[in-house]
Amino acid sequence: MTQDDEHRRAWFRREILPLEPDLLAYARQFCRDGQTDPEDLVHETFARAIACKTWREIGNPAGFATRILRNCALDALRRRKVLTITAVADFDRIEPIDETPGAHMMLESREELRALADAIAELPTQCRRVFTLRKVYSLSPDEIAVRLGLSVSTVEKHLVKGLRYCSEKLGRRIGRKSKVDEGRSWSARRDHDAKR
Amino acid sequence: MERETGSRRETVRQAAALWVVRLDDPSCSAADRAAFEAWRDESHENEAAFEREAAAWARLDRVRAMRPGMDRPDRDLLAPERRLTLPRFSRSPWARGMAAVAVAAVVGAGVMTFGSGTAYATAIGERRVVVLSDNSRIELNTDSKVVVRYRKGVREVKLLRGEAVFEAAKDARPFVIKAADAVMQADAGAEMAVRLRSDGAAVTVKRGAVALDPEPAEPKDQVRLTAGVAAIYSSAGHRSRVVSDSEIDRALAWRQGAIALNGQSLEQAVAEFNRYNRQQISIADPSISGLRLAGYFQTTEPKSFVAAVTSTFPVRAFEDSDGAIRLSRRG
Repeated sequence: MTQDDEHRRAWFRREILPLEPDLLAYARQFCRDGQTDPEDLVHETFARAIACKTWREIGNPAGFATRILRNCALDALRRRKVLTITAVADFDRIEPIDETPGAHMMLESREELRALADAIAELPTQCRRVFTLRKVYSLSPDEIAVRLGLSVSTVEKHLVKGLRYCSEKLGRRIGRKSKVDEGRSWSARRDHDAKR
Repeated sequence: MERETGSRRETVRQAAALWVVRLDDPSCSAADRAAFEAWRDESHENEAAFEREAAAWARLDRVRAMRPGMDRPDRDLLAPERRLTLPRFSRSPWARGMAAVAVAAVVGAGVMTFGSGTAYATAIGERRVVVLSDNSRIELNTDSKVVVRYRKGVREVKLLRGEAVFEAAKDARPFVIKAADAVMQADAGAEMAVRLRSDGAAVTVKRGAVALDPEPAEPKDQVRLTAGVAAIYSSAGHRSRVVSDSEIDRALAWRQGAIALNGQSLEQAVAEFNRYNRQQISIADPSISGLRLAGYFQTTEPKSFVAAVTSTFPVRAFEDSDGAIRLSRRG
């Protein structure tokens, strides 16, 4: 059973987690009136996805995650007391796209490294130092505590803070190749259904 | 405006991150691991959040590649001022082409886009919340318009008409608001309202801080406005004052679809209602303009406001054939 749980988590890590930036972009389309936080939808989607015991039968993980997210959005809508109807655009597609499709494979590891280093560079000074010593130089929290004259629990707090900042940032990175169908909004789908 | 669910998500992710850091610590004990297993078994929410933080933690191992040789550890290796030496990748014409395609696609989806900016507007009586790609929010009041330009180095928003509340999300890029010739830079997490006036604008900072430069042409003149401060600037200059929380809440009552009056004159109240409604109210008799009012009204129900006024004061209301309401003294 434990072994199977580990397989299930590995599947989640491999297939679902990397979809986060795409799912977030997709989630924003359900949050156009600002009443629901798109990050909450993604958070809930992850919780429901990892719970799936029949993960082996899922052929299209992106489609699977997308369906869950839509259900989460509908549930959030049902929980509301007041419904507002406002249309807001999805800004993601306006952002300049940095990576060119062809050159991308070559640049990926360097770009990734840069993005990670950038994220660490944005941390507050002491937090950044602790994080650098832990991740770049692989010093243990005990060693860092001695070196910087801090308590181990303070080192731990800095590491948690740094990790939280970086994981949010990495989760928001806009994927160059969207695996999720985000081309249709609710209204577009409504129009589509109406025509049939 | 703290979202309850948002803080719950943050709590879970925070706990998950702590477990990731602890489990990776060489001094992590068997008891710690058992406590972790118990925590993870509590819910799939915990389980998924842990996987998410653990994946980011593992991904960050890549920065080990930046370690320069066998030198003794340099804690400031990744300091921002040292980051400039890293290689930069120029943007290719290909990428610009892709961006143009992306903009065109959004135009097709029904959003007004020109240049690299996107315009959002509200009609009279309408309110609208815009959530931007970085999770910054703009709440537009009645008859208002903003243009949003997000670029690589800066997040720029221009208020062209009316009034809006801006909530600047945390991001590496500065959040800049332009309104009536002035330039404001909001700190991350700042929440502020800007309302255009016939000359200049009024700024109210609800949370965080904002640097206001009323005349960008003259670099000397910059003011820092903190939470609980309201400023008015115009071509004649600028002044600021401290405002109470309840005063801010009243000024922003429109976010709940309301107008909150607390001693304003009838003239001011009428002007306020006229912003939100096509059905206009006018004061035919100057002697009643100075009456002071208090109360909480729906922005879109001028008639209930008029009913309240006529039942409290010696005021009469006439409705013209075109729907306009005229107020005059009774008796």
